[in-house]
Amino acid sequence: MVEHGDIRVVHRGGSKINSREPVVTNDSRFLLCASGERVKVFSTSTEECVHDLRGHTDLVTGVLLRPTNHLQVYSCSVDGTVRLWDFTDGILIKTYDIGYPVYAIYASANHEGVFFIVTPTQSDNRSELFQLVAVHLPQSGDQLVEAQELSAVLSNVSSNPAATGFGRGGEYIASAKGLHLEVYFFKKQKSYRFSLKEDNKKGGKNTLMCIACHPKDDCIATGHEDGKIRLWRNFNHKKEYTYTTLHWHHNAVSSLRFTPEGTNLLSGGLESVLVQWRYNQESERDFLPRLGSAITHIAVSPDGTLFCTSHSDNKITIIQSCVKVSAVIQGLVNGESVRTDLMVDPRSKSLVLNGKPGHLQFYSLQRDKLLYNLDIVQQEYIHELGLQQFEVVKVAFDAPGNWMATVEERKPKAAEPEINLKLWAFDEQTQSFVLNTTVSAPHEAQITSMCFSQAADGQTSMLVSASEDGHFKAWQLPRSACTEDEGPSWSCDFVGDYRGLAPQCCCFSADGSLLAVSFQEVVTVWSPASWELLTTLSQPPKAIRDLCFGRLGCSKYLMGTTASNLLCCWNLLTCSLEWSTSMDVSLLLSDPLTENMAAFCCQAESTDLFVFKPSEPRPVASLKAVCSGKVTRAVFAPREEMLESCEESSQWLNRSQLYFLTQHMDLMTFTTKAEEDRLAASSKQLFIDDSVAMTPFYLLLGKHRKQENQDSLTRLSAELMPLPRGSLAIKELLQSPAHVLPSTSVLCSMFVESLLVSVADGSEESKHAEEEMESEKEEEDSEGEMESRTPRPEPASPGLQSAESAAPALTKAQLKELRRVKKLDHGWLADLLLS
Amino acid sequence: MAADTGSSSLQLPCVFSPKSRQYLALCAQDGRLRIWNTDSKTLHQEYVPSAHLSATCICIAWGPCRTVKDGPQRKKRKSEAGQAAEKADLLAMGTAAGSVLIYSTAKGALHCTLDGGHSGGVNCVQWHPEDSLLYSASDDTNIIEWDLQTGKARSKWKADRAAVTSLCVSPDGKLLLSAGLIIKMWDLDTKEVYRKFTGHSTAVTTLRFATTRPPDSNGLYFLSGAAHDRLLSVWQVREDGKDKNSVVSFTLTDEPLHVDLVASNSKEEAVRLAVVCKDGQLHLFEHFLNGPCKKPLSPSCTVQMSDTKDSPVPIPLLAAALGAGMQTVLLSYGNHLQPVMEKVEINTAERHVCLTRDVQTSLSLSIETAVSKVKTPVVNAKGRVLVPGLPGHQESITKDINNEQNPLDNMSIAERLREIDLSTVSTDKGALKGTASLQTDNFAVLLVQGLESSDTNILNKVFQTRKEIVIKKTVARLPIPAVLPLVEEVSLFVNHCFCIPLKAVLMVRWLKAVLMHHTSYLASLPDLVTQLGVLYHMIESRVKMFHKLTKLHGKLYLLMTQVGVPTNTVTDVDHTAKLVYEEEALFL
Repeated sequence: MVEHGDIRVVHRGGSKINSREPVVTNDSRFLLCASGERVKVFSTSTEECVHDLRGHTDLVTGVLLRPTNHLQVYSCSVDGTVRLWDFTDGILIKTYDIGYPVYAIYASANHEGVFFIVTPTQSDNRSELFQLVAVHLPQSGDQLVEAQELSAVLSNVSSNPAATGFGRGGEYIASAKGLHLEVYFFKKQKSYRFSLKEDNKKGGKNTLMCIACHPKDDCIATGHEDGKIRLWRNFNHKKEYTYTTLHWHHNAVSSLRFTPEGTNLLSGGLESVLVQWRYNQESERDFLPRLGSAITHIAVSPDGTLFCTSHSDNKITIIQSCVKVSAVIQGLVNGESVRTDLMVDPRSKSLVLNGKPGHLQFYSLQRDKLLYNLDIVQQEYIHELGLQQFEVVKVAFDAPGNWMATVEERKPKAAEPEINLKLWAFDEQTQSFVLNTTVSAPHEAQITSMCFSQAADGQTSMLVSASEDGHFKAWQLPRSACTEDEGPSWSCDFVGDYRGLAPQCCCFSADGSLLAVSFQEVVTVWSPASWELLTTLSQPPKAIRDLCFGRLGCSKYLMGTTASNLLCCWNLLTCSLEWSTSMDVSLLLSDPLTENMAAFCCQAESTDLFVFKPSEPRPVASLKAVCSGKVTRAVFAPREEMLESCEESSQWLNRSQLYFLTQHMDLMTFTTKAEEDRLAASSKQLFIDDSVAMTPFYLLLGKHRKQENQDSLTRLSAELMPLPRGSLAIKELLQSPAHVLPSTSVLCSMFVESLLVSVADGSEESKHAEEEMESEKEEEDSEGEMESRTPRPEPASPGLQSAESAAPALTKAQLKELRRVKKLDHGWLADLLLS
Repeated sequence: MAADTGSSSLQLPCVFSPKSRQYLALCAQDGRLRIWNTDSKTLHQEYVPSAHLSATCICIAWGPCRTVKDGPQRKKRKSEAGQAAEKADLLAMGTAAGSVLIYSTAKGALHCTLDGGHSGGVNCVQWHPEDSLLYSASDDTNIIEWDLQTGKARSKWKADRAAVTSLCVSPDGKLLLSAGLIIKMWDLDTKEVYRKFTGHSTAVTTLRFATTRPPDSNGLYFLSGAAHDRLLSVWQVREDGKDKNSVVSFTLTDEPLHVDLVASNSKEEAVRLAVVCKDGQLHLFEHFLNGPCKKPLSPSCTVQMSDTKDSPVPIPLLAAALGAGMQTVLLSYGNHLQPVMEKVEINTAERHVCLTRDVQTSLSLSIETAVSKVKTPVVNAKGRVLVPGLPGHQESITKDINNEQNPLDNMSIAERLREIDLSTVSTDKGALKGTASLQTDNFAVLLVQGLESSDTNILNKVFQTRKEIVIKKTVARLPIPAVLPLVEEVSLFVNHCFCIPLKAVLMVRWLKAVLMHHTSYLASLPDLVTQLGVLYHMIESRVKMFHKLTKLHGKLYLLMTQVGVPTNTVTDVDHTAKLVYEEEALFL
């Protein structure tokens, strides 16, 4: 448990939303996708996250709409449960405990009470063998249900959810693994297996990647590693099956999907082009190119109006069926790793790290939303496997946010890396970054570290870059604008080295008067004013990993961590080691606003956090087991509003917030209880009736509806009332045998009379209706004139009141009925009897 | 009165979302509601009300922040926990047709319509801070209290003889201010008039509570602004009810359009006010509300904005929201169809601040980013490119001697005299030699003239020569003092034309000739390092690959010879025996 005093570690977003296929709801208003340990519900029109379905305790591996109720959704997880949710309100309805990790879930409308899951064959060890299992849902009203009835359908299936699919009407299920396609027919309880050859003549690979079954036709589409799509038909015979081949993709097809009517087939892959094939006219294709990055999943809404593609850069694109992008839901872009460190843009207070290839992403920490990607490289990205392209690898901001330095790198195989250093000025007038200086090949080898000097006067700007080529360079912006009409631009001021060693980290002191550069196990301290080597500090035997100057009151201290699990603190006044302690610090960083420093220590698969002041031996706060795995990226972000916590253990969070990235690219932060309470107190839930109006038709129809509702009962009975009379006469007329009927003249008068509405009855009726109307009007008026809030007793007509007092149990409608019966003209009966 | 409401309908509603100021809701001239994201400065949503042309939106009010529900809160094994994120969601719009629309930004759709209440246009809508109640004021002199749980009017009462133009609910939710011409304070429990305040002669457009203190403590203040009035009046709600006149007034340059205020909670806390006027200026005030103040208060800071053209045109500010610190203000400016949002740090020490902004470029940027979410920074020709070899790419060698160079500059008279001497000598020489020999001398003279006058035409002409001998002779006859300028000129040329290798090749010949003839002179220079530093860097960076190239060349050469050799040997080798020893002879 991560409880330390009242500080908690909370998830702030950034998890993957592209791991599994997204699901679009029946009305196309919401999009559901698995995101880490939760399911997120997004609005398709506004890209906003509407709900967050939390409950699973491990990675969610599948989301599926319940076939029998389109307002409910299943989600399965590696924690061995399947949960049923109401996504419109975000409520957990039921939990089915399976007991084995679930990797995918399927269901069909024709298989009621059954869903199909993919689980490992051996539950204990993490084997590579998976099986498809049918789970019969027990009928139980309980919240937590244990699913007992499991029956294996197919063994040895792929764990990839795209490799299995239901066929037409749920008659069969098709699964692909490796070079084999297996089709299981539920009726016959029999499976057919088809295999492809390892390689064809041209060397293309035939491995099956994904599968899609036609919803109306007996046809299975499979996507292959060489970019081919095969359409299988006639597969209920072992031998006489056929297939046709479609080929457009030049890399593996990663996702295939038929539209609900089966008229189109959608395919996507690395090319980041959505291809739409006409079913049965495969030569006609539509393309939606330039989707940004490789397509990993395609989803189609049940009504076919929306397509969704999820992409490898943690993005979901929502596409109208007219092949037009309408919305983009972008999570924290995560490539293979965060090459740039985490940075906070001093202007927008957003998190900055490398995003799309060649871009920097600006991510809002408060809202867990991407603000924008800044195009740094400004070169077309070519979607092809194995191509080396420019990547942004380093970024630095100066303290007021006026300058940004970026390093982009391209490292072709067996050649020297191409490196560009770009310096961007923030232009107030256009509110955007403007390129000031480009330095091509600033160093001959990779740049290991880069930082701006934090000079207080803000006039002299200096940037230091250290590289593996054994040099560090100081770049300076000339103080006086060197005339010309070009304005100032950056140039190299000093090149430093130390015994030919490669510098690892560099760091400026808080006032910018000292520069510390580490060369393996030696820390050199330079004066940026004269570029003199002031002193060297060293603590053998291992290389320095991190360097940090103390701030404010602790600015005389220099902190360093070494690869040999040592945290050292040097006093710069005496140039001696103040103290050192043995701990495996994976990351050391200092809070720019306070004296505090944070050290993440990796110990036995989990990370501990220590917050300390260099001047004090006792840590300010220590949190055990913050997260599993190693933390390598973290940043202190300044708070917008200062907290006023007095407790010693949480004081370090008052001015800034510490964010860090876990192994799984989840962005985490620390909060205090006080902060949460404040948040909870300040915001209230608003309850608003949802069903008041939706469409413009309401404006036409809605006004009458209210009246209608109130009058409907009276009117209903009014309509019903003449019927028994008329029908009685007619019944008599028709049912009695002709020979017993009286003469026609007698009958005629009686029949006509029966059709007439008696005068007294009609007038009574209208009078009553008027009364009702009046009372209603009165109600409205009273409402209008009401000055006091207390609602008045319901004004009612005198007649009604008496009836009510007499028989309170009777309803209004019954009363009316009674009254009407009383007032009926029974004269005709007497006539009939007399005659 | 009708005229007043007419003028107020010209003011297009423009409101920041509460608390975090994430969104700006704006109803433009075309009747569409647009919601802009102030973080990314892009259009977030656009909503076209079904009757946007006939029933235009007159007023907008953001609802209180909604908490994202976390579902059942449970203790969990892992570190995940409920994080209450605040989101501004609902938005109430009053229309000219008398209906109130409630729009949800999370869903991007109309949430519900409240109509049938007003017969005239809705002038103002206000949310109750705690309960789900909404108040609307209309031209038909009525105020309606809507219950949003049922979507029906809870009560309706006549508030004035004329149109009600403005409303404000007190922060504790117990009092309501309404105003046409007369400001009335209503007790929301009983719906009775609590106080009346008279003083404005035109329709009141702005009402705000300035303090959050209870009304019976003499500490409740509110402020009001009216159409065509160039001031905001502050009223005190006094215990004894003797509150006839306004206590303080803030002077403005024009009618107030948008008011944002940070209310004070105690006497020690000042009220901070940001007022955007009709003329597009922003005025910032800071005042301690404590009893009457006779003199009208002028703003502590005024902000204007202009564009970057030669003859600056003011850019109107649309709305402003105060940030946490006094200096930070979130501004929205430009036109209503495409406003630009920006968080600005304003130096409040200055009374007048003028910001210059280029609206055109920022506009074009915001359109493109709407869907793609990619922003392109400005890259123009002004940016400097440093390639290896250019001065500035490497540490300049002149640096160390900088201090010594300054005195040299100071005593430049002697230097100049010498220069003059030399130049006269050189011209004489040139003239003399010009008669003696023809071409080469002409070149030397030309070169010297070119170097002295730094005439690019002449220099170009001279540097065009390809003949090795001509170059050699010219350099040889060059007067000594002209050597250094030549070297500088040559290195400059090489740097400038690094992209044209052929030209550089020409220059290299000159350089070679200079080094051949004048090495001794160059070596004797005291400040050799500084003079030739640039040249040195250039050569070094260009020669960096030479080693590898020569290696490659050598390998290739070897290969080529190897390829050549076997074919020769194969053809040349004569397999016929030179000598045949016949063994039979032995038997013979």
